[in-house]
Amino acid sequence: MNTTQNAGAVKTVAGLAGKYLTFALGTEEYGLPVLKVREIIKMLDITQVPQMPAHVKGVINLRGKVIPVVDLRLKFGFAPQDYNERTCVIVVEVVIATGRVLMGIVVDAVSEVLNLAGEDIERTPDFGERVDTDYMTGVAKVKGKVKILLDLDRVLGADGTISLKAA
Amino acid sequence: MRPEFILQVDADLSRVACSVMVGGNAAADALKTGLRQLASVLATAPFDGLAAVIDTMVRAADLAEAGNEQETLAAVDAVWSAWKAEVEGANKPSASIETASNGTDARVEDDVEALRMDPELSGMFIVEALDHLGTIETSVLALEAAPGDTKLLNDIFRPFHTVKGNSGALGVRTVQELAHRVENLLDLGRSGKLAIGPRETDVILKAVDLLTAMITDLQRRLNGDPGQDLEGARLDLMTLVDSVIAQEALDPQLIAPIVAEESAAVQAAKASPLKRRADDTGASVKIDTRKLDSLVDMVGELVIVQSIIRDDPALQAVDERLTRNLAQLCRITSDLQRNAMAMRMVPIRQTFQKMARLVRDLSKHSGKQVDLVLSGEDTELDRKVVEDINDPLMHMVRNSIDHGIEDAATRQSRGKSATGRLSLKAYHQGGSIVIEIEDDGGGLNTERIRQKAIAQGLIDADAQLDPSVIHQMIFRPGFSTAQQVTEISGRGVGMDVVRRNIEALRGRIEIHSRPGEGTTFLIRLPLTLAIVDGLVLRTGAQRFVLPTFAVRESLRPLPEHVHTVHGQPRMVQVRNSLIPLVRLAELFAIEDAVEHAWEGTVVVLEDEDDHVALVIDELVGKQEVVIKSLGDAFGNVPGVAGGAILGDGRVGLILDAHGIVAMMQGRESKAA
Repeated sequence: MNTTQNAGAVKTVAGLAGKYLTFALGTEEYGLPVLKVREIIKMLDITQVPQMPAHVKGVINLRGKVIPVVDLRLKFGFAPQDYNERTCVIVVEVVIATGRVLMGIVVDAVSEVLNLAGEDIERTPDFGERVDTDYMTGVAKVKGKVKILLDLDRVLGADGTISLKAA
Repeated sequence: MRPEFILQVDADLSRVACSVMVGGNAAADALKTGLRQLASVLATAPFDGLAAVIDTMVRAADLAEAGNEQETLAAVDAVWSAWKAEVEGANKPSASIETASNGTDARVEDDVEALRMDPELSGMFIVEALDHLGTIETSVLALEAAPGDTKLLNDIFRPFHTVKGNSGALGVRTVQELAHRVENLLDLGRSGKLAIGPRETDVILKAVDLLTAMITDLQRRLNGDPGQDLEGARLDLMTLVDSVIAQEALDPQLIAPIVAEESAAVQAAKASPLKRRADDTGASVKIDTRKLDSLVDMVGELVIVQSIIRDDPALQAVDERLTRNLAQLCRITSDLQRNAMAMRMVPIRQTFQKMARLVRDLSKHSGKQVDLVLSGEDTELDRKVVEDINDPLMHMVRNSIDHGIEDAATRQSRGKSATGRLSLKAYHQGGSIVIEIEDDGGGLNTERIRQKAIAQGLIDADAQLDPSVIHQMIFRPGFSTAQQVTEISGRGVGMDVVRRNIEALRGRIEIHSRPGEGTTFLIRLPLTLAIVDGLVLRTGAQRFVLPTFAVRESLRPLPEHVHTVHGQPRMVQVRNSLIPLVRLAELFAIEDAVEHAWEGTVVVLEDEDDHVALVIDELVGKQEVVIKSLGDAFGNVPGVAGGAILGDGRVGLILDAHGIVAMMQGRESKAA
């Protein structure tokens, strides 16, 4: 799948409406389209894979399938945090250069599934050049709180494959 | 006519005809109206030849209106017969179809549209047609060895007839027209009216090739990819077939020169007679490979869970009956797994037979005489390996014929037989499959390779190198010493890709060349891609798996056996040899691991002739593991062959000895 197609695609805000799974990273809340979410599992032992960037924690056994796990905090450049009993792994389906793969993302806590209507969602504001907003599809306002809606394929798949060695 | 159209008319006609049974005025009315409507449907349909059927319908409608029951009944019967005859006629080689195809206005775009209308039928058509074409090719090669064999002629005729019929039913006219032409040729052959000699078999094989290309092209277009323009080739070939049937002198532009001697395939077939296999469709089933893979995956998971249960401490000291049942469960699961893996195994026969065709074409093309000898066609390989080994094998066969085997004159002047010999062998050896490609040509030209390597800066002009080292140079990218780049080989992109393909299958390739006498390539592949007997080891908090075939021995060295270079421990003495030493913790950046080789364990890894001594914390145990790929997301991680699910459900990375050796050599060359 050609991820560069997304570069120019302007999704109408109405097209973003739907069900989202929201989760927390630190004090911020994010949302993922529910269709991309396969399951949520509690944190478990991750087997490290050598020579991967720091945010690629390694692999886990998902019922016989070996899938990679990415720490979203580290991917976004937040300070790392110890895992506690609220830490979860969200198993998502991502489109990368060679097709669809399952991946796990480590998040601080999972919140809830929200049904977002068109009017709840706004286009991503322009924060200026210092903030990379390519991976946000929009911003939602629910009950006074702001949730940042993510385009997973861009967050996780934009590199093509994760096998970039720290150059 | 389209199948759905036929079905629709059938349905309507049945409904209408029911009225005949009922009788009475209302029924007669319904009959008349129904028939008149059907008639106009047929009249406005985009198909030819329905005029006769329409006539019968109109007549029957008129009779229904007139109220004569007897005659109406007969007339409706006539409608049915006419309709059925028309449907039949669409599939038979009838005059109407022949005239249509002579004026060939078939267009590939129309055919793609026709296929799009029914994706499921199209998919089946394509798969079956390609299958038939494969069968046809094998039979034709056999026919070349036994000309005039009527059973073989029938074996070729039938699938052509089927492909023609199926393509006609689906409306794929480009395919149908060509197939029809060849079918005519074959029909004349099997009724004895036309001798099927080398000229004819050549044309038939061309048709097989073109039809395969056309059908593959249709599939590509169906997927939305751009297609090739094969129309010119198709029209030429149809003209050629017609000429052959008419026994005219063939236009030399249309055919490649036909060599007078016995074709290579004839000789190959004599050496290893292609057996006439009875039609064994009853003995096997076609399965979607995804279903098969899914089944094998699930069995793999079953084995893992079953071993977790078996090793669970809570079940250890329980009653005897439970222990016995568990043991039984284990045995059955093992058998199930072996059967599941076996389902993925296929004999290499088909791949070898593709080579037969290739050798035949190549020897004609190059004018050299080559005898192909096959052995071990029954040797079974994992399905994926068979697929991936096809291209490398083809490349090597081409090389042998193009560059290895000399032409008849040169051979005779060297005291060899005029006919060269190319042998393909497959067999099991130890835990591997071995495929040998041997020719009795001139062997690798060591000097020419050496010169080329010097020219490319790979070796020094005055370096004294063993011939076998020089031969390894051919695996470098862009390396080819062929004087002329032939159309199909010699471009220098070959052997490095070949080696990479083989290494991707965790295999190895060896060269043995005897100057003036010939060359042998040996490909070694692991027997099963998926299961490996492993040693589980621990370093730091992580566990890894080492395939046992890569381990020569393990030991705990004494401090005095560890030797340093520039202050760093770099070698260990094992009995009389010094082996390069490296800590796994260092290679993979693992924390909290044992520092010194004598405090932990050293495992000596073996990769053909290279050895590396790996320092780990401890060996934990032995386990048969299913190799799980780490997935596309990771690409190739050096030193890691995949992941394995260990007894406690965690993932242990499987170490790749060859990769680790390469990493070591990389470091050494950097340090040097």
